[in-house]
Amino acid sequence: MNIKIAASAAALAVAVAGGCRRDEVTHYRVPKERAGADLTPAAVAAPPPGMAGDVPAPPPPSGQARLTWTLPAGWSQSLTGGMRYATLKTPVPGKLDVSVVVLPGPAGGELANVNRWRNQIGLPPLDAAAMAKERKTLATKAGPLAVYDFTSEGQQKSRVVAALAEAGGSTWFLKMAGDEKPVATARAEFIRMLESVHLE
Amino acid sequence: MNSPALAKTVAMKLLDLITSLKLTIVCLAALMVLVVACTLAQVNLGMYAAVNQYIRSFVVWAEVPGTGWSVAVFPGGALVGLVLTANIVAAQLRRLELSWKKAGLWIVHAGLILLFIGEFGTSLFQVESRLAIEQGQTLSYVERQRGLELAVIDVTDPAHDDVYGVPESRLARGGDVAVTGTPITLRVKGWYQNADLVNRGPADPPSPATAGVGVGVAVREMPPVTSDDDMNRSAAYVEPVAGGRSYGTWLVSNVLGAPQSFIHEGRTYQLQLRQQRQYLPYAITLKKFSHDVYPGTDIPKNFSSLVHLSNPGRGEERDVLIYMNQPLRYDGKAFYQASFGKGDTLSILQVVDNPGWLLPYISCVLVAAGLVVHFGISLQRSMRRRSAAASVQGTLTS
Repeated sequence: MNIKIAASAAALAVAVAGGCRRDEVTHYRVPKERAGADLTPAAVAAPPPGMAGDVPAPPPPSGQARLTWTLPAGWSQSLTGGMRYATLKTPVPGKLDVSVVVLPGPAGGELANVNRWRNQIGLPPLDAAAMAKERKTLATKAGPLAVYDFTSEGQQKSRVVAALAEAGGSTWFLKMAGDEKPVATARAEFIRMLESVHLE
Repeated sequence: MNSPALAKTVAMKLLDLITSLKLTIVCLAALMVLVVACTLAQVNLGMYAAVNQYIRSFVVWAEVPGTGWSVAVFPGGALVGLVLTANIVAAQLRRLELSWKKAGLWIVHAGLILLFIGEFGTSLFQVESRLAIEQGQTLSYVERQRGLELAVIDVTDPAHDDVYGVPESRLARGGDVAVTGTPITLRVKGWYQNADLVNRGPADPPSPATAGVGVGVAVREMPPVTSDDDMNRSAAYVEPVAGGRSYGTWLVSNVLGAPQSFIHEGRTYQLQLRQQRQYLPYAITLKKFSHDVYPGTDIPKNFSSLVHLSNPGRGEERDVLIYMNQPLRYDGKAFYQASFGKGDTLSILQVVDNPGWLLPYISCVLVAAGLVVHFGISLQRSMRRRSAAASVQGTLTS
């Protein structure tokens, strides 16, 4: 009987150990995935199996209302033409991401997008009145651009400088985000680029 | 009757019960019933759910129509298997004499016990995953076929990502989940095993989401899918909290393609609900997938994947051809050719991680060997009897 009890206890312990193991938070440190670097173009375009795009990406902006700008010296860009319309590279070292995103329609509205940017760096949401105080308006050939500049709290600060404009039924988001220092370094050139925005 | 005597009587009765041949027959009959019931249940439940409900459970539950209550209706395969194993072990120890004459029976019983242990081990530890890989693609992870994870990925480092996977079972429990290794705690505010995600309309209630794409999305709960070919569209509302600050409530779902992100203390974290991944210390590249047919027909003849295995840790670089019934067995995993797609440019490999995969083979060999030994011993005994009978008859006739 003792053998049976011991065997049952061992089986239970193994089962419990197995069950617990499957419920833990796992951690892996892995090399960055090279998005599509190894793939044929067709393979990159297709969604992964079983994950067919149920939330389709919006269509690229129509040719009539394409926003364009003058790149600052030393900057480069790649136009992808999708929801993330362009990715810009600056010569400034450090963590910095500059992008142009275009979405159809009002894309949730100005307040929702401003609060989304603030949320991304851990700042509390604003109401419409507070947002209006934060807004700087730039006059461009494509019309007025609403520009916002937010810096996070904490020891290692993040900063977002972003602008949005409506053109041809789409909303354009021109955004620079990253660590506070590189954003501050590139800010003047980014603002000059925003001032150069015009319709093509 | 005094207490020690009563206890002894009860123990003896229990021993009689656990070693009885009738119990063996009842268990075998119950297993047959379970196999039939499980086979029929696959029509509605699908294979995976049916096996879990009937074979890998201790009790089979049935819902009383209209009440929402479940009652136990039959012992499950795990319970029957456990009782049968105990029965065989106890009967062998009690009845079989330890002699060479019974060696065959000992081996047969050992094989059967090993078979049951192997099945328990499989149900506890076997992990089935898959590797869906395109021609020219290199992957160093496999994905669980059943089971999602909320991946919290620290993408700050330019060369590496730190991937923290919160399993679906943990999300389903709700409450706070500390993401160990990060300052983040996830507050799980809602979990939907299957749901429809639609654009929020004016009639929809306010969204719990305050950040990300979920603000404009309404979640409508659906019953979980049962077919093996369907996939649940799971969703959860989670609120990352770090350093005493909330980063809003986000909707995550395995049907939302792009990850969503927030920045805390200069580190960027992505949130993505996806198939649970297991990263491997080696990489597999699909060099070529072949789909051969018989000449002049569309009838498949063979499917094969020529892969390159690269394991810098072991200094291993080699090509392997995986084809039907010829898996790649490597580092405790078996990669089987399972399916294909995308105009024969995508190969899907079934990946089975079963530490006890050899046990059924060993037990079958043991049972077969035991039967041969038992037959040999019986034959020898019978021949001796016949030769003794013949010599007696010879003596009498002379």
